[in-house]
Amino acid sequence: MGKNNGHIRFVVGLGSCGIAAGAKDLYEELAAKMKSHPAATLTHTSCNGMCFKEPILEVFYPDGNHLMLGNIHKKDVDKVLEPLLTQKPVDEKFVIENSLQPDKVESFRLKQHKIVLENCGVIDPDDIAPYLEKGGYTALKKVLTSMTFEQVIEEMKASGLRGRGGAGFPTGMKWQFARNTQSEKKYMICNADEGDPGAFMDRAVLESDPHRVIEGLIIGGYAIGAHYGYIYVRAEYPLAIKRLKIAITQATERNLLGDNILKSDFSFHLKIKEGAGAFVCGEETALIASIEGERGNPRLRPPFPAVSGLWKHPTNINNVETLASVPWIINNGSAAYASYGTAKSKGTKVFSVAGKIAKGGLVEVDMGIPLRDIIYTIGGGTSSGKPFKAVQLGGPSGGCIPERLLDTPVDYESIAATGAIMGSGGMVVMDADTCIVDVAKFFLTFTQKESCGKCTFCRVGTTRLLEILERIAAGKGVMEDLDKLADLSVKVKDLSLCGLGKTAPNPIITTIKYFRDEYEEHIKDKKCRAAVCKDLIDFAVVEKECTGCHACFKNCPVKAISGTAKAVHHIDQKICIKCGMCYEVCKFNAIFKG
Amino acid sequence: MKTVHLVIDDKSIAVPEGTNIFQAAIDNNIYIPGLCYQPKLPQFGGCRLCMVEVTERRTGHRFACAHPVSEGMIVKVNTPKITRYRKSVMEYLLAHHPLDCPTCDKSGECGLQNISYDLNLAPGRFKTTRMNVPVIRDNPLLELNRNRCVLCGRCVSTCKEIEGLGAIDFQNRGIKTVIGTAFDKPLDCSFCGGCVAVCPTGAWQDRTLGFGGRSWEFMKTPTICPYCSVGCTIVLNTKASPPRRDGGVDTVKRVTSDDYTGINEGNLCVKGRFGYEFIHSSERINTPLLRRDNELIPVSWDEAIACISENFKKIIAEHGGASIGGIGSEKSTNEENYLFQKFCRTVLKTNNIDNLSNIKSPFLNGLIYKSVIHGFASASLKDIETATTLFFFGADITEAHPVIGNMARKAIRLKGANLVIANARNVQFQSQARSDVRLRYALGSQVALVNAIMKAIIDGNLVDLKKVEASTNNFPALRGQLNNFDPQLTGISAETIKQAATLLTNNGNSYLVCGKDVEEDPQGKDIIEALLNLCALINAGYNADTNSARISIFFSRSHNNSQGVNDVGVVPGYLPGYADIENASSRETVENVWGVKLPDDMCKKDNQDVFDLALQDKLKALYIMGENPMVNHPDGKKVHDALQKVGFIVVQDTFLTETARKANVVLPSATFAEKEGTFTNMGMLVQRLNKAIPPVGNARPDWQIISDIAKKMGHAFAYASPKDVMVELERVSPAYSGIIYDRLKRKEFHWTSFLLTKNKPLKYTFGVIEPGVLNISVSKDFPFILLTGANLNHQGTFSRHTKALMSVAPECLVEVSRNDARAMGVNNGDVVIIESARNKIKLKAKVSGKVSEGMVFISEDYERQPVNLLRDGAYTPVRIHKEIG
Repeated sequence: MGKNNGHIRFVVGLGSCGIAAGAKDLYEELAAKMKSHPAATLTHTSCNGMCFKEPILEVFYPDGNHLMLGNIHKKDVDKVLEPLLTQKPVDEKFVIENSLQPDKVESFRLKQHKIVLENCGVIDPDDIAPYLEKGGYTALKKVLTSMTFEQVIEEMKASGLRGRGGAGFPTGMKWQFARNTQSEKKYMICNADEGDPGAFMDRAVLESDPHRVIEGLIIGGYAIGAHYGYIYVRAEYPLAIKRLKIAITQATERNLLGDNILKSDFSFHLKIKEGAGAFVCGEETALIASIEGERGNPRLRPPFPAVSGLWKHPTNINNVETLASVPWIINNGSAAYASYGTAKSKGTKVFSVAGKIAKGGLVEVDMGIPLRDIIYTIGGGTSSGKPFKAVQLGGPSGGCIPERLLDTPVDYESIAATGAIMGSGGMVVMDADTCIVDVAKFFLTFTQKESCGKCTFCRVGTTRLLEILERIAAGKGVMEDLDKLADLSVKVKDLSLCGLGKTAPNPIITTIKYFRDEYEEHIKDKKCRAAVCKDLIDFAVVEKECTGCHACFKNCPVKAISGTAKAVHHIDQKICIKCGMCYEVCKFNAIFKG
Repeated sequence: MKTVHLVIDDKSIAVPEGTNIFQAAIDNNIYIPGLCYQPKLPQFGGCRLCMVEVTERRTGHRFACAHPVSEGMIVKVNTPKITRYRKSVMEYLLAHHPLDCPTCDKSGECGLQNISYDLNLAPGRFKTTRMNVPVIRDNPLLELNRNRCVLCGRCVSTCKEIEGLGAIDFQNRGIKTVIGTAFDKPLDCSFCGGCVAVCPTGAWQDRTLGFGGRSWEFMKTPTICPYCSVGCTIVLNTKASPPRRDGGVDTVKRVTSDDYTGINEGNLCVKGRFGYEFIHSSERINTPLLRRDNELIPVSWDEAIACISENFKKIIAEHGGASIGGIGSEKSTNEENYLFQKFCRTVLKTNNIDNLSNIKSPFLNGLIYKSVIHGFASASLKDIETATTLFFFGADITEAHPVIGNMARKAIRLKGANLVIANARNVQFQSQARSDVRLRYALGSQVALVNAIMKAIIDGNLVDLKKVEASTNNFPALRGQLNNFDPQLTGISAETIKQAATLLTNNGNSYLVCGKDVEEDPQGKDIIEALLNLCALINAGYNADTNSARISIFFSRSHNNSQGVNDVGVVPGYLPGYADIENASSRETVENVWGVKLPDDMCKKDNQDVFDLALQDKLKALYIMGENPMVNHPDGKKVHDALQKVGFIVVQDTFLTETARKANVVLPSATFAEKEGTFTNMGMLVQRLNKAIPPVGNARPDWQIISDIAKKMGHAFAYASPKDVMVELERVSPAYSGIIYDRLKRKEFHWTSFLLTKNKPLKYTFGVIEPGVLNISVSKDFPFILLTGANLNHQGTFSRHTKALMSVAPECLVEVSRNDARAMGVNNGDVVIIESARNKIKLKAKVSGKVSEGMVFISEDYERQPVNLLRDGAYTPVRIHKEIG
């Protein structure tokens, strides 16, 4: 990141997550306050993965010392600015890391290994210069000047890189197929239609290091012989789109994109296509249909996109993370990459850890690391302190992995053996307050809504599955419903047209497999142990705890609570809609839920 | 193509490589259930019913529609697991279906019903969740009942891929997915009804049927469409109405299509599918009419025929046969037209016979025959589906021959065909062609354009010029002319012309459709000669080994039998089969069969047409069969005046047309549905009609009427059926020689290719065609040029008596360019007056991007708006202004 030229350099993390946490305000406040300090400069970077600490401010001193502060807001600027500028100690609660205190290490950063995320939260994503300084586009140069397309493909094959979008198909092989098809025109597409609830790896990479993806895409284009590329990115990622556009302009200006890249014979033209918000458009054939301007319905395979894809030309589609790994592999060699990970799953994988986790964020770990390490060592256990219950891997297409399987190593085969899938890397952690039926219902609601409606099993099957789950959650289930769920799930899985339908029942299958007792409780005992399913729970006032503070009375939206100040209150069950507001506002644990 | 051997359900079969399992099964009569697969559409893969088990080669459960066959594959269609899965699909689909079969028109031919029955389904496990949404009836022809829809996507695909429109698509996602139009606006499409034809359930319905019968009650008779010259096969669904026990007679209740019969693969246009109601129109003439005291009164057949016979005899005796004129019909069968000309030539002893297509373009027959004998017109229309390049010259395919458009889109979809469209107007043709070259020429520059394309071919060495020179005559002269030719004359960029030239000379078969705009152009003869030069240039360089470029030409014809009426000799210049009437030796065959000697003085071509003769008082009588020249002759005033001068007019037609109203005797003739015979389409394909219902009222087929008159006049016209006529025609006509009437039931007869099996194509001699100068005297008073042309929704007398067609296109509109409309302050729907030196008419305006500035376009197919009264040539100068007040 260059020399500081005698300046104190303040760097604010301006990723979407940081901005949402208030980093923009922090940045503006700092900018206003630092005007009068000629010795300090203010720049920005993007996300470094520590979502739980956002907004994050890093300070680099001319002497080489460095400080990372977290959870620091606009209001704290007055408190910390002066000490920071004068290199005096600041309030410890903000400090994540301090180069003067080498023993203070954030456990979140342990066990991580950054390849894809190496520049994330480090460089300014709006400028190509820092990326070039970090060795950006050297891989492209290497490929264009010294490698044939066969060598590139061989290198990818040797690296063992598998598609990071979820299915884990070997990337080198995929490129080989697209290369083998003869055609006057081919397309290379980056799939950045990240839609899993709880997944934000691709967004973070695009926002933090857009050039890396572009470089990977151009190399892919070179390998398969494509001269046209698309980045299909969902319109819900405006910042990523903005930064990609800037990156494309900058790369084009430097002849890294366009005709005769770096004076070679190879030309590559890149366009951004914004998705309109359909989850299914992440499926490659639907994505192709969407770029063509058609409704994003998946198409039959064969023909595979490698043979006949976008506008019937051979097309290769890779996920953001896959492409972001490519420059590193070219630069450092396939052997270096293959040295990470397990026998069948090489390299590193980025996960977005969310849900009821103490330290949520973006982590990149070697393949094969046990899940437990991610959740406990890196993530710090559950946020509530309550017992860990399960982790949903792979979003709505994945499955729930219970506590007892937490030693499963994260690689494609081991994860699949549990019934979940590696997926794109979304990890949603659940604690004891999570109802497993509710989880299945949540994901089914999602897939059912996002089904394109083309094939019968996905369209009708997911709806029927959801109906049964709703019935169970409402306490109206019967034991045969579990058999129906199982039977239907298998059929939907076997007979759906595309990946969405084929994986939609996974949450149900795994939750029944690991938490059958909870389903049975809902059905037989009409009981929800996590007290989530509204039809199975009641709210009541614990008389001996009630102080008569009147807070619940004031907040009840349906006036179901009666009682005067300083007297014990009472909830009318006939009126209560079980919104839980009283439970939330009561400071005396005087509301019973269950 | 390689053949692949596989076994499906223990049956060994062989199919071409690349076929999917479903199609392989269909082709070999093996049943696989499926709702979304339709052979003529791209595979969809949505219904999930066609799962099969592959036990050898890529084993596992596969979807038959998606999976290509491979050598040695073994497929099981039914296993217990598959049946279970299939039942499950049906269980899902039926949980939503209203199960309203008792009141559904589709019942009995419904895919959903049949598969439920086959699978012997028990009541499902799910509670029914019907949509109960209202049926969409936003147009007069099609209704969409989404409750019955299984979302197979066939209609969406048909609309997009075959009709090129995409008027409907899926809406919403997941369980809420439905079929609908953009923003739920009323359906605005060409109303081809393809959606109804492919719908496997009762979701899309033909509203014209309107509870007219159950599918199993219908007698289905395939026959040929009576509108344009493509010659689509339509299936007449007939049923006794009221029931037969109550004295009902067979009535046409609807038209369906059959994917496997005829040339149109089940595709039809709005006229073909919905234009049948005229058959039972209350306005039909049911009985002969005779003029007494200036009024047409019903009489018996005997009386009418006696009257005609007497009058004809008297006129022949007093003025000679030549004082009688005859107009044959572009809509009647070949047999009827053949008898008509035979009657005129042998009984009336007149050669003053003609038909309207020949009157409009008198040079056309000669040029078509020239293209036939040189082998340029040897393709059948269906071959268009295999094209590499399609060249529409002066043809508005979408309006005039929509089903050719369907075939073209198939070539574009499956063969990646390219498109070149040359037209003075910006005609619409929706397709996904990768190369879509539009050559919008200025009127009068067509010859220059064709020459420019030829120059580009020669300059670019796009064909084997040595071979061209060796196998043709006079090529150096053409080359010399083109060397000095300045392609700038066309006003189209050299690059575009070069692109067109390249596409036309791409390896493979190109098809050129020469449109009506060319045929009726004042320079039409030159343009077509130039086009024949182009064909010769491309074809002479043909090399079978490299499958180099080859081009075939089709000539656009207006009506269902415009080709046939000329083929069988209802023209002054030719006897049947284009035998030169002035040549005594070519007359001989005909004379021998007919057993008469045609006098030399009768057998001559006359430069004047029948109506000219009438205007000059040379005609005393006129016999018009199935034609309405008052409206359809390009010069309405001439016909009007001519008919005033003729003392005795006989008209035989289905309706009391403007022409029939002028007649002394009107004879009710039967429609296509009520008779047998043959039509010849514009691709020279002779196809057979099948009689579906008995003649309505007292109507008789034209062939019978002619025979009756001939017999009354003492001639032995002993024909029991059209077959007898065709047998005679086969002997008489060199063109139709080899045709066997009975075999036509199974297979059409393509007379040009049959002719070329006997005679080798002649060596072509290039003619040097200089671009002429077109004089259209646009003046200050009449600043616009009036163009006329086809309309998708209407044609001739039949369409205007069809409620369905009138309801979708009730009014004739005048198309005005956007700029002109703005300048005149005319908006869509404003009433404007169009005035020529001759006459004026009042029409509503349609502001359109199709016409250029300075042009207006009126369809000539609305008989109620006789645009021909305005015209005095191909391009009449007119003025238009908004109606005031």
